[in-house]
Amino acid sequence: MPIITENITREKKTETDFQSPEVWTKVTGKAVYGNDFKLPGMLYGKILRSPHPHARIKKINLGSVEAMPGVYASLTGAELPERPYGIVFDDELPLAAELVRYIGDEVAAVAAVDNETASKAVEAINVDYEMLPAVFSPREALKPDAPQLHEKFKDNLAWERNLLRGDSDKAFREADVIVENTFTIPSVHSTYLEPTVCVAADDPYNGLIIHTAVQSPDAVRVIIAKALELPLSKVRIVGPVMGGGFGGRVYGNLKLYMIASLLAIKTGRPVKMQLTREEEFLVGRPMIAAEMHLKMGFKNDGTILAREADIVTDNGAYSAQAPWVSKTLSERNDSVYHIPNIKTRVRLAYTNKVPTGQYRAYGNQAANFATESLLDMGAVKLGIDPLKLRLKNCVKTGDTTVHGLKIKSCALAECLKAAAEEIGWYDRKKGYGYGISAAIHASGSLVFDKNFRGAAALARLELDGRISIFSGEQDYGQGAHATFTLIASRVLGISPEMITVYSRDTLSSPHSIGALGNRQTTIGGKAVQMAAKRLRELIVLTAADMLEDPVVMEKGTLRSASDRIVELPLVAYHYHSLTCGLSLIGEGRYVPEPSEYDETGYGNIAVTYSFAAHGAVVEVDKTTGAITVHKIVAAHDSGKIINQISAIGQVFGGTTQGLGMSCYEGYLFNKGEVANASLADYRIPTSLDVPDITPIFIENEDPEGPYGAKGLGEIVQIPVLGAVANAVADAAGVRVTDLPITAEKVYQALSGWECE
Amino acid sequence: MSYLKAESIGQALTLLKESAPESRLIAGGTDLFLQEFPERLIDIGSIEELKWIEEKEGFLEVGAGVTHTIAGGSDLISDKATALAEACLQVGSPQVRNIGTLGGNVMNAAPAADAAVALVALGAVAVLMDKDKNIRRVNVDQLYAGYNCSAVDCSSELLLKFMIESCKSGEGSAFVRFAARRALALPMVNAAVRVKIKNGIISEIYLVAAPVKPAPTRLLKTEELLLGKSACEETWLKAEKSAAGEAEVRGSLLRCSADYRKHLVGILVSRAIQVAALRAIGGKEEG
Repeated sequence: MPIITENITREKKTETDFQSPEVWTKVTGKAVYGNDFKLPGMLYGKILRSPHPHARIKKINLGSVEAMPGVYASLTGAELPERPYGIVFDDELPLAAELVRYIGDEVAAVAAVDNETASKAVEAINVDYEMLPAVFSPREALKPDAPQLHEKFKDNLAWERNLLRGDSDKAFREADVIVENTFTIPSVHSTYLEPTVCVAADDPYNGLIIHTAVQSPDAVRVIIAKALELPLSKVRIVGPVMGGGFGGRVYGNLKLYMIASLLAIKTGRPVKMQLTREEEFLVGRPMIAAEMHLKMGFKNDGTILAREADIVTDNGAYSAQAPWVSKTLSERNDSVYHIPNIKTRVRLAYTNKVPTGQYRAYGNQAANFATESLLDMGAVKLGIDPLKLRLKNCVKTGDTTVHGLKIKSCALAECLKAAAEEIGWYDRKKGYGYGISAAIHASGSLVFDKNFRGAAALARLELDGRISIFSGEQDYGQGAHATFTLIASRVLGISPEMITVYSRDTLSSPHSIGALGNRQTTIGGKAVQMAAKRLRELIVLTAADMLEDPVVMEKGTLRSASDRIVELPLVAYHYHSLTCGLSLIGEGRYVPEPSEYDETGYGNIAVTYSFAAHGAVVEVDKTTGAITVHKIVAAHDSGKIINQISAIGQVFGGTTQGLGMSCYEGYLFNKGEVANASLADYRIPTSLDVPDITPIFIENEDPEGPYGAKGLGEIVQIPVLGAVANAVADAAGVRVTDLPITAEKVYQALSGWECE
Repeated sequence: MSYLKAESIGQALTLLKESAPESRLIAGGTDLFLQEFPERLIDIGSIEELKWIEEKEGFLEVGAGVTHTIAGGSDLISDKATALAEACLQVGSPQVRNIGTLGGNVMNAAPAADAAVALVALGAVAVLMDKDKNIRRVNVDQLYAGYNCSAVDCSSELLLKFMIESCKSGEGSAFVRFAARRALALPMVNAAVRVKIKNGIISEIYLVAAPVKPAPTRLLKTEELLLGKSACEETWLKAEKSAAGEAEVRGSLLRCSADYRKHLVGILVSRAIQVAALRAIGGKEEG
């Protein structure tokens, strides 16, 4: 039975293997997660949700809910000002005012002495609905006679983009070989272990404090302050340890936070709210589903001439980040290879289903599945080896891609060769299928806020000689704290054990965009590097002033020209007494070059770019279609690796999730109702389903990232889908174009159902 | 809610007698915990008398309180009722197997419970005792009243054990399943076979595939077709075709379509027969 093995022999490198002490609090059960968090006098909140996909609320009959023993308050949309909020569009309300648009929409809420009482109270609320026609298919939703979800968005079109580079019509006329197909991916949930939870507390002195683990606490704070009309400085997010995020918790669950906050304000008591696993599937903002019709044209020698795409993405009832995800899905993948002519139409449609958001690679993984599948279909038609086809067309250092991405460092060709070599591409075993796929991903995205591209950090020398780093970037299990520790340790020349990183509190950390767009290592890490550098200068200056002699800093010790030695605590105390209480603080900022991004979206959008190529080896049982994935090799160019042990962990985790999307996962709907809203029926791979995974790092130094490093967290998931799809097609002799690739779909394809 | 723990069969019956019909028996609880809890639970999970595995006069007796882990790891069961050991090792996950019992697997009355499917193919008889200590013996497939509905009233009757005729020389059994992942997934199809082969000819066969009916049910037409046939490739193909044709299956959004399930029934039945036949003639198995 295949299981994960770390089949790379390597020596532990003290320089690049570091685990934050927080890891030990997790494995020994001492870490405080959101669910562990309690405050005195705390109440528990529950939400009444719409059982209908589309309806008008005629009347909410609260009856005697508030008089029920143990119930402290109820809340409905009617009590709240109709002030919509959102991440990209303001299309949501904390509680539905008039319309419910999907099964799960928040209608009313109750705060009570415990969860059971709150649940009973919520069940006692009676709502009179007038049913409205609903629409579930995004293509249907875009038709003019479809039921309309939002007045502001005609024909349910939430967002659209038509993109033209070069002259694709001409290129297709000149192409020797053309391939086209439609590829689909369902909504997928990032299935973090811990269902979203928060405790909101409000008092006149502290203001509103929301205790919750979220990837972008500053962004959440800004949205909540605006939506609830509270002074920004009186809204604070404090994070317990997070039980997994994977990009699905960039904004956490804004509605949950707002409802808990409103109940806390109303009752004057802290209110705790946690989604159940079922609610997590209903309202937890999975990644958009997509239908991608792609067409690609080649010259006989394999040169890619053009790519056309007609993409429809499924927004669900509300938008969250879906327009951004749709944009990345429709565009980023175009920069893996040289494709001079591009024509893309992408439309995001509102439907009466679960509102969507994002998951790890921002839709780039869906595009990888489609493009890399199509590329292999092209290779077959051209009679060219799929690896050679990729090597012929892939981007390299110094290129500016079709959308204007500036490639400062790129080892994609090396990744492709390494992955191919390791899976045995040149020495294939009979009866097995081999697949390969390549990816690019932004490392340090600059375009979430054009006026706020970088990051800041503080490095403080403590009186005992230890260093505290304050960063607004978030460690949510991916190891950002350990990475920052190693960076500061290298700058200051002191042991990582002497350094502690603090984030997760909007009061004490610099404001940050947060953990998205592969920002943490490249941008956040660079700010930490700058802060540590500044602190080092300040320490040297202070010591020189103290000794009245020039000093140098070596291994955490200061040595003067006359060979006198001073340890860090003394320098800290010296400055402390000199200033009557101040500490030495290095302020670091990293402000990347502005992105020259024209109205067509042409321009560089990230500090730098990470690359990867994955290879997969599979077996297909043709009598049943059953797939066994034996091996996935993940070759990555993430520049110089800062922390090898956590990089390997990222590859194992992300690859497994990619495999989940490839062969196992996906929302199933029955008339708008989620049919598999449980971990029994929403099937992520178990440890028995995970193949042997081999990480390979091609360590090219990046000129921009800290110590030559680039991001890794998101890209690990992307090439898995294409590699597995291509390996299955190679083994089965037929191609499944609809994710997840299940045994049944392979069998159907084998028994004559549509195939390439 | 009350929760009572019985230390012996006698005590469990007394407790049942005192409190029918509000009580429900609980053993491993792996299925019961997913449902709404009854007012009164009588825990029979630690009754030692329900955990015996022994062979007596050509019959294997397996207590209803034996867990899947214990049954799957028992040499006696592996040897004398191979299909049951195989089925037990494929239930749920290690955690579920460690606590879930064979009795529970049958009494929960799921249509494709792995151990129950194997028990029916092995021709197992269930031994039950009522509140007044009357004993009755029933074939396992007779314990079902409908989908997920047991014919046994567990507020008045206790399942003691299963009796399985020990597998003798010339006989073999096997269990196979097909699911969406390798653990923690209900089977799309599972199948179990017990076969006797004499001079290369199938002389006895019990063949079960599920989920086909509310209870694990023998595919009688296919059994009949195979009787007297020689143990060879041609017969396995016949078995595949006949089983797929005989099984009336349903499709579901969560598992698979009816057509695919029908196809799988054929494939799995054929595979199970081949393995069981190989065991019957004492052949070597791969892997």
